[in-house]
Amino acid sequence: MKHQSTINIFVLFTSLFASLHVHSSEPLSGAELINNNCARCHNSRPIQEFSMSEWKVIMPHMREKAHLTGTEVQAILKFMEIASTPVQAPKVLASVNNTVEPREVLTRYGCQGCHQVQGAGGTLGPSLDNIISEKGIAFFERKVKEPQFNNSASAMPKMPITDEEIAALVVFLSPQ
Amino acid sequence: MRTKEKIRLATALFGALTVQSSLYANESNDRFVLVGYGDVKYENTDVANTSAFSARFVPIFLFSLNDKMHVEAELEVGLNEDGETETELEYADIHYFLNDNTTITAGKFLLPFGQFSANWHPSWINRSIWTPGIYGAHGSSQAMDPMLPILSDVGVAAQQVYQVGSAKVFFDVFMTNGPRSEAEHDEEEVVEDDHDIAFARLFSPTTTLDPDVDEDEHGEAFPEVEFEATSSDNNSNKAFGGRIAVAFLPSIEIGTSYYQGAYDEGGQLDIRANGIDINLISTHAILRGEYIRTETDAFVERDHEDVIDSFSRNGWFLQGTFFVGHLFEELGSTEIVIEHAQTKKVEEAERWMVGINYWLDPRSVIKVGYEDTDVADGPDDKRFAVQFSYGF
Ligand code: HEC
Ligand code: HEC
Repeated sequence: MKHQSTINIFVLFTSLFASLHVHSSEPLSGAELINNNCARCHNSRPIQEFSMSEWKVIMPHMREKAHLTGTEVQAILKFMEIASTPVQAPKVLASVNNTVEPREVLTRYGCQGCHQVQGAGGTLGPSLDNIISEKGIAFFERKVKEPQFNNSASAMPKMPITDEEIAALVVFLSPQ
Repeated sequence: MRTKEKIRLATALFGALTVQSSLYANESNDRFVLVGYGDVKYENTDVANTSAFSARFVPIFLFSLNDKMHVEAELEVGLNEDGETETELEYADIHYFLNDNTTITAGKFLLPFGQFSANWHPSWINRSIWTPGIYGAHGSSQAMDPMLPILSDVGVAAQQVYQVGSAKVFFDVFMTNGPRSEAEHDEEEVVEDDHDIAFARLFSPTTTLDPDVDEDEHGEAFPEVEFEATSSDNNSNKAFGGRIAVAFLPSIEIGTSYYQGAYDEGGQLDIRANGIDINLISTHAILRGEYIRTETDAFVERDHEDVIDSFSRNGWFLQGTFFVGHLFEELGSTEIVIEHAQTKKVEEAERWMVGINYWLDPRSVIKVGYEDTDVADGPDDKRFAVQFSYGF
C-alpha cells in the first residue's frame, strides 16, 4: 500500500516537472552569475585555476549542485572564456586605437558582475567607486593585474586586461 | 502490481534517456577531469584519551559524456585506526539534463536532504573540522547521537529550478533503497555496547526521564536504524523524500526537506524526518544551520499486544563564520567559526565549537578547532584538532 503511494508521488512529481517550463527573465551575465552562485557553498574558485576544457567538465557538476539552468552554465562558461583569453586575442586587440571606452572594459571583463560601480553591480567584491581615492592608482593597477597579490584567497579572476584598458578605468574611477 | 509500477517508471525514465541521448553525439573532447580533495588531521580527544593523526584522499572523477549526460564518482580513501586502508564509494551517479531546468540523477548520489550532505561536507568546504552532530561523525566517532546519519544512497532523483520574480526556487525529489534495522524489534534484541545500554536504560521504567520524552512504559529499547547505503533493500519499500528551497541570490537560501523510509523487514516501521536549512551569505560572514526532527516507529507492548508507536527526536546546529580579515587587514584571510548544536530526547547533548581558519588560497585551509559536547547521560566530550584541507 505505502509502496504504491511512494511510486505514485514520485511519478506525479516527475511528470509535473516535465510539463512545466521556465520563462526566464533578462539573462544574467556570466560574471553576475558567478557572483550570485559560486560563493554560496565554498569560496569562489579563481577562473585561472582550471583550463577551459576542464571547466567544461566541472560546470555540469556544479550545475546540479548549485541548481543552475543550462542557459546559466553557458553564460558562465562564456565569461570564463573571456576572462581567460590571452591578451593577444583579437577581441582585445580591437581596443588598441587608444579610445578605450571604460564602460566597455567594465562590461567585457564583467567587473560589475562582482563589484558595484555607481550603485550598480554585484557584491562578491567591494564597491569600486572610491577605490582610486582610497587606495591609489598603483594599488589599483597591481590588483587588477594580479588579483591574488594581497589576498591569497581572492576569488577575483586574473584577466587578460591591457595597460590601456587599466588606464581608462583609472581615469573613469578617479574623483572628478 | 508493485513490479508493474516499477517497470513503468523505469521504462519511462530510461526510454526518455536513450531517445534523447542518441540525438546528441559526442562532439567535444573535453571529457574527463580529475578533481577532489584531501585532508590531514591531528585530533586529541579527552574522553577516549586519544591523540592521533589521520588522513584522507578523496578523488572525484568527472566525465562529460555529451551535453546531456554527466557522470560523477567520488571515492574516499582513508586510513582506519588499525592502519588498514578503507575505501568507500561516496557517490557514483549519472546526471541527465532533461531540459534547461530539469536534471535527473540515477545511481548512488548525495541525498538532497538539507544542505550538509550534498553541499557542505567536503573538508575544504565545511568551515568546521567536524561534522555537525545531527548528521553523525561520517567515519569517525563523536559524542552526539545523530538524527540522520546519512550522506548518500542508491536510487533515482530529479531536480528542477525556477525563477520566480527575484527569487529562485529549487525542487528536489528522490527515491532510494533506504534504511534497515540493525536489530529486530523482538525480545531477542541483543544489547551490545554502551550505546545500546544507554538507549535501553532510557526506556526502562526504572530510569527517571525528562517528563516530555515519549517514553514507553514497558521498557522497550529504542530501535537502531542503519542508514549505510547498499545495492539491496531489506524490504520492498523504497525511501523517498525531497527538498524545496527558495533563494534570493547571492545572500539567502532557505530550504525544507522530507525523508521517509521503512527500515524493518516487514516494511511496517518507518523513520520520517523533516528538516529546515538556512544559508545566509554576506561579505563579512556566513551563517548556516539546520534543524531536523525525526519520528521512528517501533513495536511496543501494550496490554500484551505489539502495537506501533513512534518516538520523536529533534536536533539542530547553527554555524557562524566571520571573516575577521576584512576588518583587520593584517589578519589576511583568517576567519573565526562558532557553532552550537543540540540534540533533544533519547540522548540529549549540547555542543559548542570554536575554530580559527586560515586560508592559503581559496581552496586550501588550515583549521584549528575546539569542541565541547555536554552529554546529558554520559561523560562530556572535549576535543581539539588541527586540520589541513585542500581541494584540487
Ligand atoms: C550548492 C553548493 C555549491 C554551489 C552553489 C557551487 N558549488 Fe562548487 N562545489 C560544491 C561542492 C559540494 C564541491 C565538492 C565536490 C564534491 O565533493 O562533490 C564543489 C567543488 C567545486 C570545484 C572543484 C572541482 C569539483 O568539481 O569538485 C570547483 C572548481 C567548483 N566547485 C566551482 C564552482 C563554481 C564556478 C560555482 C558557481 C557556478 C560553484 N562551484 C557553485 C558545491 C557548490
Ligand atoms: C568573479 C568576480 C570578480 C570579477 C569579475 C572582478 N572582481 Fe575585483 N574583486 C573580486 C573580489 C571577490 C574582491 C575582494 C577580494 C580581494 O581583495 O581580492 C575583488 C577586489 C578588487 C579590488 C580591490 C578592492 C579593495 O578595496 O581592496 C579591485 C581594485 C578590483 N577588484 C577591481 C576589479 C576590476 C577593475 C574588475 C574588472 C576588470 C574586477 N575587479 C573584476 C571579485 C571580482
